[in-house]
Amino acid sequence: MDQLPNLGREQEMLEAMGLDSMDDLFSDIPKDVCRTDPLPLRDPQSEEEILADAQHLLGANVDLDSRPSFLAAGLARNFVPTMVPMLATRGEFLTSYTPYQPEVSQGMLQAMWEFQTMVSELVGLPVSNVSMYDASTAAAEAITCAVRVKGRKATQKGVVYVSQFVPPHRLSVIENYSQGGEIELRTLEHGRDGRVDLGAAVVAAGACAVYVEQPNAFGELDEGIAQLKEIIGEDTALIVGVDAVSLGIVEAPGNYGADIVVGEGQPFGIGPTGGGPIYGLFACEKEYLRMMPGRIVGKTIDEDGRDAFTLTLSTREQHIRRHRATSNICSNETLIALMGAMHMALLGPEGLKRLALRIAAVTEVTKRAVCSIPGVVLVDPDTSNFREFAVKLPGEAADAVAHIDQAGVLAGLPLGEWWDSMSTCLLIGCDERTSQSDIDALVSALSSWVEEVGA
Amino acid sequence: MSDIFQFNGAAGSGWSQPEPILMDAVETVPESLRRTNLPEWPRASEPELVRHYTWLSQRNFGIDTGFYPLGSCTMKHNPRINERIVQLPGIDRIHPLQPEHQIQGLLAIFYEMQNMLEICSGMDQVTLQPVAGAQGEFTAIRCIQEYHRSNGENHRDKVIVPDSAHGTNPASAAMCGYDIVEIPSGEDGRINLDALRAAVGEDTAAMMITNPSTLGIFEPEIAEAAEIVHTAGGQMYYDGANFNAILGKTDPGRMGFDAVHYNLHKTFSQPHGGGGPGSGPIGVKSHLAAYLPSPLVDRESVEDGGATGDGYRYFWRTPDKTIGKVQQWHGNAGAVVRAWAFYRRYGRELELMSEHAVLNANYLRHRIMNPDSSTLERIPAMPVDGAPAEVVKHEFTLSMQPLKETTGVTGKDIAKRLLDYGYMSPTLYFPMIVPECLMIEPTETESREVLDKFAEDFLAVLAEDAEIVTTAPHNTDVRRVDEVWAARNLILRHPGSE
Repeated sequence: MDQLPNLGREQEMLEAMGLDSMDDLFSDIPKDVCRTDPLPLRDPQSEEEILADAQHLLGANVDLDSRPSFLAAGLARNFVPTMVPMLATRGEFLTSYTPYQPEVSQGMLQAMWEFQTMVSELVGLPVSNVSMYDASTAAAEAITCAVRVKGRKATQKGVVYVSQFVPPHRLSVIENYSQGGEIELRTLEHGRDGRVDLGAAVVAAGACAVYVEQPNAFGELDEGIAQLKEIIGEDTALIVGVDAVSLGIVEAPGNYGADIVVGEGQPFGIGPTGGGPIYGLFACEKEYLRMMPGRIVGKTIDEDGRDAFTLTLSTREQHIRRHRATSNICSNETLIALMGAMHMALLGPEGLKRLALRIAAVTEVTKRAVCSIPGVVLVDPDTSNFREFAVKLPGEAADAVAHIDQAGVLAGLPLGEWWDSMSTCLLIGCDERTSQSDIDALVSALSSWVEEVGA
Repeated sequence: MSDIFQFNGAAGSGWSQPEPILMDAVETVPESLRRTNLPEWPRASEPELVRHYTWLSQRNFGIDTGFYPLGSCTMKHNPRINERIVQLPGIDRIHPLQPEHQIQGLLAIFYEMQNMLEICSGMDQVTLQPVAGAQGEFTAIRCIQEYHRSNGENHRDKVIVPDSAHGTNPASAAMCGYDIVEIPSGEDGRINLDALRAAVGEDTAAMMITNPSTLGIFEPEIAEAAEIVHTAGGQMYYDGANFNAILGKTDPGRMGFDAVHYNLHKTFSQPHGGGGPGSGPIGVKSHLAAYLPSPLVDRESVEDGGATGDGYRYFWRTPDKTIGKVQQWHGNAGAVVRAWAFYRRYGRELELMSEHAVLNANYLRHRIMNPDSSTLERIPAMPVDGAPAEVVKHEFTLSMQPLKETTGVTGKDIAKRLLDYGYMSPTLYFPMIVPECLMIEPTETESREVLDKFAEDFLAVLAEDAEIVTTAPHNTDVRRVDEVWAARNLILRHPGSE
């Protein structure tokens, strides 16, 4: 065992303490709860053997880079600059913990303050925390935060309207997080064109909050969302979930009245990683600052008056406020947010715009190509899409995905997995790595399936 | 000082990328939604940023830098093989919604980890979905809540926590909508059974407790406590933050618990990364298994050997009465894979890990509390044990109250002075029931020499002139940081060019 520096020296250490055996160290565990048999687990392995097994097992997975892939559904097959993992996994970052001692943690604190600044700039709101677990928990805690802030003035007590087109797994997270807070979730209806029904949205005026996504679950951009704040009014919080990369070309929600912006940070900084660790973005107006979840870094001075950074507003948090805390979050996703900060800084404003344009371009080209296949139509015609779009197929989408898989192409997400009523619909996702030949391969495989179904 | 917002490269073209495959892609965005002002991000080249982040890293203290005895956080060495493995495309470039047959290797690792954690904890079913310890607590309490509801016991609206509990316990239960009943610890810091008997009743939903306690001592009456709670109809929840102390020696199942969370970032070495990521799987007894979040991993025998060659096909399974999702996907898969690599190193010898964690904690405590006479003479007032105990488990607490009363030097001063000596400070002022508390957890990955030197330096600090200690730190990147100034001025971002 190469991880234990004191292996073989137990006896000398025990003797120094006046103890006889290792058993003496566990003499305080009552006999009736002691484990007497050894753990029925496998033999220990060396690093070489572990790596070989990891390569064997993980090698049995089909990685997204090994074939044309159109599966996104809120998680991006992105390109992460090489610098990012190399620098972020420097031991001083990797093996540190929450900077409770700012005097020896200025590096991570400053990096997180820079992260807060970049997120704030990205979404157009003044305050950002240093990360949530993911987009879904960020959305859920944005809702509970908004209810705490707006609850008193709201005429619809505890009521929050959630867009009809929020993916069901996110809605489930929201339900779990809000059920304990006397919050009533209602559906914000969309029209037949997929857009938020602005006429119907007036019912939300006087509620605590409205949660919508821009783009929505089908990648659709909705101009109406920019008018929502006027409709629901000052006393109702507008929470907007975003595709963070889209904000290189799409208006920042803070500029059209959003009070809180949340989203998946993952496209900046880390690969899809089987779904985690990723990180959620959370930014808000100052009004929400003292009720928001998560850690916040502030700039300050040290005893000698020099610039320094420290965690601030900790009195909101569980380790101080206990059951009256604004959230139970303790460990968060700081290291992944650090990777995000590095990626954002490398891109720069113009690099961000270029990245967003590349994704917008492949989304449009793929959409046109797929919709040129006879029998394949957009679920919502005449929409503008970013990264994803949904099409209706002449058969079950799950069958199409299985058929296209045979051709070595990952076609996307059969939407029946999310909504039973959409079993013939397919969600196709694009990213900066999507090439023309990927698109050709998808179109060819999908065409052949359509022909087979038609025949 | 390296200031990222001062980089403002003339080129201004940003990170080099291929051209978009369609010109004028901006026209795909409706005109009214087009962004007009780009975010004011730095305009920096790669060499500038590499140097910036290297500089920042050098102003940050990690386990790799030095001894990190931050009690309750289990800051053990993070084996580097784990980082190499998560860079493999079979995890880094995997989408959780890929068809099952494309991710059999990942599912096999999930299954192995579920199974291993079940064995180590005496639980019947584990889910790997929660992504932090606090989220594990929340998830398990949600399952308990639904269990009570489906038994028609909606009136159970209280969760009991000891006053020494981690802050996340009451915070997590409160998020589920429970009222919190805090019970006082006994004078010896242990669970107070009389207070527990007085607190339980028909309204008890659960009790949340960690064992060993946050004082680092084993609760000998845990089985009685479980019986009291169960008799009242409540459920027992085990906060696994201190699991590093008991692996292979006992388990929460034997102690009478119904649900438990594990911190893979503590016990199983997922790096803490300046505040996260974590991973907080939970395990439950069979009566709670139907409520677990969706999905779990299951398997069935197959004739052809399966994709990984072990004879099984792995698949996702949704529990019957699932509470749904707590994380968007299936948890922090990357953290699970790291923890898997850590587990594989020990296998059935995981017990060794706990033995050495406990050995090191007791050894360090002994060295600190038993100085030689010449050292003792120079110390104005020795600390006292946070709780009396023959042996501690993986950590211990010291009260600096006597020193404070004698010289005015506080626990915080000691913590700050230790930074000057090149150590991370112990956990400060927790648990709150111990006055001027320092909580010390050395972990199993520190050598005897490091422990000896730390004890020596710790005692030297106690003997130092109060003036030096109360004005510490002196040798760090910045001097004592003004937290009040930060909260008063709230400068939470760079002001930008406005």
